[in-house]
Amino acid sequence: MTALTATTTPAARPALHRGGLLRAVLRTHRTALALSLLALAAASAALVWLHSLENEARAGVSACATPPMDGLPSCAAVEAITVDQTYANGIAFLATALSWLMFAVAAWAGGALVGRELESGTAQLAWTQSVGPLRWLTAKLAAPAALLTAGTGALVLLNVWARGEADPDLVGDWYYPDAFVSTGPVAVAYALAGLALGALAGLVWRRALPATGVALAASLLLHSLLERHREDLWPTVGRTAPGSIELPRSAFQVTWDTPAPHGVHISHATFHPQSHFWPLQYVETGLLLAVAGTATAAAFLLLARRLP
Amino acid sequence: MTDTAIEAAGLGRRFGRRRAPALDGCAFRLPAGRVCALTGPNGAGKSTLLALAAGLLRPTEGTVTVLGTTPAAARERLAYVAQNKPLYPQLTIAGTLRLGRDLNPRRWDAQVAERIVAEGDLDPDTKIRALSGGQRTRVALALALGKRPELLLLDEPMADLDPLARHQLTATLMADAADHGTTVVMSSHVVAELEGSCDHLLLLGSGRVRLAGPLDDLLAAHTLITGRAGEALDPHTVVESRTTGRQLTALVRPEGHLGDGFQSDRPSLEEVVLAHLRSPDAPPLLLDAREAAV
Amino acid sequence: MTALTAATPPAVVRHISPSRGLVLAMLRLHRTALLFWVGLVVVAAGALLWAMGPGADAAWAEYTDMGCDLSRPNLGCDFPGPANSRYETAVAVASGLVRLLPLLTGAWAGGALIARELENGTAQLAWTQSAGPARWLAAKLAVPALLLVTGTLTLTLLHRMLWSSDQALISVGWRAWHDDGIFEINGTIAAAQALAALALGVLVGLLLRRSLSALGVAVLALVSLVYVVGELRPHLWPVKTVVTGLDDATAGSDGMIAETGALTASGARVPIPSCSGEPGCEARIGITHYYADYHPASHFWPLQLMETGLLLAVAALATATAFVLLRRRTGAAV
Repeated sequence: MTALTATTTPAARPALHRGGLLRAVLRTHRTALALSLLALAAASAALVWLHSLENEARAGVSACATPPMDGLPSCAAVEAITVDQTYANGIAFLATALSWLMFAVAAWAGGALVGRELESGTAQLAWTQSVGPLRWLTAKLAAPAALLTAGTGALVLLNVWARGEADPDLVGDWYYPDAFVSTGPVAVAYALAGLALGALAGLVWRRALPATGVALAASLLLHSLLERHREDLWPTVGRTAPGSIELPRSAFQVTWDTPAPHGVHISHATFHPQSHFWPLQYVETGLLLAVAGTATAAAFLLLARRLP
Repeated sequence: MTDTAIEAAGLGRRFGRRRAPALDGCAFRLPAGRVCALTGPNGAGKSTLLALAAGLLRPTEGTVTVLGTTPAAARERLAYVAQNKPLYPQLTIAGTLRLGRDLNPRRWDAQVAERIVAEGDLDPDTKIRALSGGQRTRVALALALGKRPELLLLDEPMADLDPLARHQLTATLMADAADHGTTVVMSSHVVAELEGSCDHLLLLGSGRVRLAGPLDDLLAAHTLITGRAGEALDPHTVVESRTTGRQLTALVRPEGHLGDGFQSDRPSLEEVVLAHLRSPDAPPLLLDAREAAV
Repeated sequence: MTALTAATPPAVVRHISPSRGLVLAMLRLHRTALLFWVGLVVVAAGALLWAMGPGADAAWAEYTDMGCDLSRPNLGCDFPGPANSRYETAVAVASGLVRLLPLLTGAWAGGALIARELENGTAQLAWTQSAGPARWLAAKLAVPALLLVTGTLTLTLLHRMLWSSDQALISVGWRAWHDDGIFEINGTIAAAQALAALALGVLVGLLLRRSLSALGVAVLALVSLVYVVGELRPHLWPVKTVVTGLDDATAGSDGMIAETGALTASGARVPIPSCSGEPGCEARIGITHYYADYHPASHFWPLQLMETGLLLAVAALATATAFVLLRRRTGAAV
């Protein structure tokens, strides 16, 4: 036996070790890989095409009022007349798709990546090969994480480029939920959190369909919690004035209060100016990465505790 | 290299607090190089014991040592085929074997794996999904043997194979074990299937070890006797005794000379196993393989 | 002994009709899904009932405290306070759950109800019981269909009560009768969508026979169906047309708009030109009027029934295909 092992173990083999595991992961999830590459290509092509429409679309937007006054036309008419619907719809669709990516990733990670393998026993098959369970989970998480980071990152950059300097009336203000998520690093963080939550759900439930459901529910909860409390992630700017206040364009209004203590109307508003985009992005990204990190650590801990 | 393949001490595994343990206080030693039959009725704990040895379950009590180390550390040197023969349904046979190569880069022997597949007349480009149960078993065994394990743990490996494939695969396994000194543990509840191919026996019942030791020694330790009813069987250990009319039939472990009133026979493996299964209260017999193996 | 046997037969021999047995088996088998569905209906109904009672009272009290019911409301009325946002959240939870329903139903029907059984072989197990494959499929469709319709119609009735009682708060929330999410839950469309989702999910499950793929494909199919039917919606009933002068382009905007455009002197329909409010621009290029094809609120029921019919036709087609598929696959045994 020793003679045989010696002949089949050239010195160069260990280098192949990590690549082998990676290849195995990619090969077993070939369909998912092909589908996501296809989606990436389609989204990139769409964004490049939308970028080419941008200037034409922007030229069409103008100011309006409801009801029409001061020589401005009615907003209902302007929207119908001028906005290049194709551009606006295209950008809105891709923004929604990018900000919902997390759900698809979580469902896949819970169901196909981990849950199904534990249910059918192929995970146990992999663990009794030479790689061991912890390295198996590492590869299962690292390969999709790397692809997701690269793919989502590229799409976010393309999206920002395709939106260009476009008018908020056309593509939505920076603080619109879908626009906010799809134009910054939080998009990547959401995808990674979905992956980690899915993998954890798969390991906890060990069955494909329940794990899919639980991963999806957990991501929905996280996504809507953050969307609801996004405004609280960074201190707001306050402004108080008698009468009514005119907030700057593209201000993310948080509260509006009009107390009348002595019969005099005072307006008090708190809001996020556009300069808060990056602080809000960083805090939300940090929170999501913390969730992803915690879920990943819990997954590893669970696997390590379950196995000798 | 150690001369012990598996050694268990006080090994127990419980699934849930309320249920009876699947394994309870198991202690045995399996020397390396043996082909061990692991048998017992349904629910005796055979699959649990194999999963514990493969490092897929954590014992709730006691320890199990595999190839001189912990099961987790020995994973690279052992192969395990689970009862339901899990394989990736979306891969082809060739893809499955490539997976084995990728996951076992230091040990993979493509020739062995390909030969086992070829012996079953299987096209390497067939998807696992399209295979019958027996064909899947063949691929699972190819994956296990391609790893060149020092210890091969097989859970009901032959259950869905046709007689010809069973014969052929058993021969392949035995040849491999003989050539490379591989230790094989295979579970089955078909006792007759094991007698020709195994040289060691581990009988489980209700999560406990009932019989353990080299097959020949275990058989030699038992005698099937017939005599007149009412004849005293002391001081022999009685495994099972039945009285039909005036005649007494019993399986005993003789302690010294048997009385002249008995006619004694050598029991078959099946008789020994069945007698133990029918008498759950018979004392266990654990022959220390350390001495017997010499 | 005879006394004992005489006493027991009623329990043993009592005949359960095969259909009833199948229904009971189904409910037992999909207990988690049943509990989930009951929980969803309870949560949505609870949210609606709360919104109709204490929620609406508190929101309205807050609204009047802010002086927003007066003729000159201030800008702050666009961002009502916490009581209003609680009210909005409760209504949004209920209608959001109903909007999610087709996707959840389709995913479950494709994945857990059918494909997992085919994948595991438990379907074959059921087929070899005395019920047979066609009965099996009929039970798989009928029991969830009944439960889905009952639950959805309950929510529809509750939402209609809310809609008719809290008109003022609804206009605060900028909701209109033809909005996506409100139009469906206020009529029969929500229930029809659930039925179409069930039938499509079952068909996809039978076609693909693998739970995760069936789940994914069913969800995609339903997203497309809901989108396509939503696009068709304004065209399912003859529209009313309103023609206005050049100074008013908002005609029909309180109804469901099917199409808007401009009219030339000869009456030809042309797209609205991009004039950007430039005075006299329309007249210069020969535009004399604007028009809008729209549905007034009185078209609610004709539109509802047409769309319900369309969805039920999809459901029936999918169901028929599923039965034909099963018959082909299992041979004449059906």
